[in-house]
Amino acid sequence: MDWSQLFSVAQLANALALASLLTILASGLALIFGLRDVMNFGHGAFYMLGAYAGYSVGKLLGFWAALIVVPLLLAVVGAVFELAVLRPLQKRSHMDVALVTFGLALIIGPAVHKVWGTVPLSVEPPPVLAGSVQLFGTMYPAYRLFLIAVGFGTCLALAGWLKFTRSGMYTRAVSQQPHVARMMGVNTDRLSLLVVCLGIAFAGLAGVLAGPYLSVDPGMGASILISCLIVVVVGGLGSIGGAIAAALVYGFIQVIGTVLFPSLAVLAPYLLLFGVLLWRPQGFGRGRVA
Amino acid sequence: MDAVATMTKTAPLPAAAAPAGRRWRAWGVFVGVTVLGLFVPMVLTSGFHLGLLINGIVLGIAAVGIGFLMHQCGLVMFGVAAFIGLPAYLLGIFSNHLNLALPAAAALALLGSTAFAALTGALVVRARPLPFAMLTLALAQMLKSAATLQALRPLTGGDDGLTMTLSGSLFGLNAAALSKAASFWPLAWVALCAVMFIAWRAAHSRFGQVLRATQANEERMRFSGFDTVWPRLLAFVLSAFIVSIAGLLMALHSAFASPELLDFATGGHALVAMLVGGGATVGGPLLGALLYTWGQDAFGATGYLELLTGIAVVVMIAAFPQGAMGFLLKLFRRRQ
Repeated sequence: MDWSQLFSVAQLANALALASLLTILASGLALIFGLRDVMNFGHGAFYMLGAYAGYSVGKLLGFWAALIVVPLLLAVVGAVFELAVLRPLQKRSHMDVALVTFGLALIIGPAVHKVWGTVPLSVEPPPVLAGSVQLFGTMYPAYRLFLIAVGFGTCLALAGWLKFTRSGMYTRAVSQQPHVARMMGVNTDRLSLLVVCLGIAFAGLAGVLAGPYLSVDPGMGASILISCLIVVVVGGLGSIGGAIAAALVYGFIQVIGTVLFPSLAVLAPYLLLFGVLLWRPQGFGRGRVA
Repeated sequence: MDAVATMTKTAPLPAAAAPAGRRWRAWGVFVGVTVLGLFVPMVLTSGFHLGLLINGIVLGIAAVGIGFLMHQCGLVMFGVAAFIGLPAYLLGIFSNHLNLALPAAAALALLGSTAFAALTGALVVRARPLPFAMLTLALAQMLKSAATLQALRPLTGGDDGLTMTLSGSLFGLNAAALSKAASFWPLAWVALCAVMFIAWRAAHSRFGQVLRATQANEERMRFSGFDTVWPRLLAFVLSAFIVSIAGLLMALHSAFASPELLDFATGGHALVAMLVGGGATVGGPLLGALLYTWGQDAFGATGYLELLTGIAVVVMIAAFPQGAMGFLLKLFRRRQ
């Protein structure tokens, strides 16, 4: 066991890179959960769709264009998802809706394989970010630093939106007390359209960002979905701040586990989930969307 | 009491309230169906279809188990796979490494899995429904990771799975007879009937009433002097026990356990089957499981298994809020 490895800058940055990817995904999931009370099992599939779309758009127009275009495309998908699935089913039990989203994931998966094939694709980072940079004396891939920056930038933007804008305030209000908010004249349907679009667009953004970091392969959605669900539940259902904290903890536990106990690292996230939920059943967060 | 009032409105009356004559008739029908079912292999001579039906009713057993927990307690077990895979692995480990004969190995596997459910249940039934679902999912994933651990490879076979050498005979069936569909059928059928009876009986007893009342308003039950955690734990253990029977049957039939048994997808089959059939009755999950198994076979033949399963799940759940069984019952009642 080499303890010194644990405190290296590279490991720290690795944990942050994983955490920032999870944060983007989990905050979208938490937003949708907060507003619609729906655990979206299709989130992993939307992320995969984003990654594949990012691959294609990136080939045509370049990575930077993909970073803008794909989230917009996924926002349109999100609008369809809200109007065609969530809204008609909003009176049904949570489990029913969750299972419908699970069914959607089953549909999106093969559809994506049909279009792009099942061979893992690799995406090159843009030339500016292709190399490594000097980071406190160690060489570190520039792309991962970019990923960390975008991840936490997105979180800040999201927090700012929730805190300082009218629609953000409405979102917090509806998440806390949907009935009261509606009585006070908040149009929850319009708001939920906005929030679901945003959540799915975030999944698309995460997909594009994941391209050069991980590889684009058919199993990517399913494997990250469970991590994401753990992050959202550990963070406190529907809590954005909690989700960010949980993603950080998750990233560190995963990386530390891989360094110290490689054979047991796969168990670490589940132990985290168990530990946190037994200690604090409501998760890290103080409440809905805060 | 409001909770009990709403409960009696939605739930059928307990069996004890039915007149004695109707109760005897119900018993007669139940025993008759159980006995008649034993002769299915004589009618259904195609080994393939019988095998499919066996898969259907074994999946049905698991679905009945989770349907019970969902309908009585409002808790959905995402990690059904934990209690499908665990007894399978235990059976393999007991017969391969301790050289136990079939009856002892099977009984211990069932016992071990149920004991595991009791231990973990004591922790997880305190959680609210969604965290509960996630905790059980984590449980299944943990078991899956443990089964594929390199250190446990001699015991579990790692990613390759565990091929079992079963010795002795269970209810007169040795390993060879267990692997044949026609001779395995009676075991699976009787297990299904027993499980459905247990679930039905438990749902229509005072225990079931307490569970449903707790689900409706836990706080009120608590200050009415009811303990709310113990009954829920008991329900969880019962549900896990029923699912374990399904896992054990799968392992007995195939003499093989693999990490896939512990995968989320395995539990997903049972979960989808239960919701497609409808969890409100004992028959719903079974109907769902039969439909699901049939669908998997039909869709698998086209080569678009996942796609068609996804579409079917979305359509079934969107179109039939009470599941297929609820729809049939509504149709039947309207006709009357």
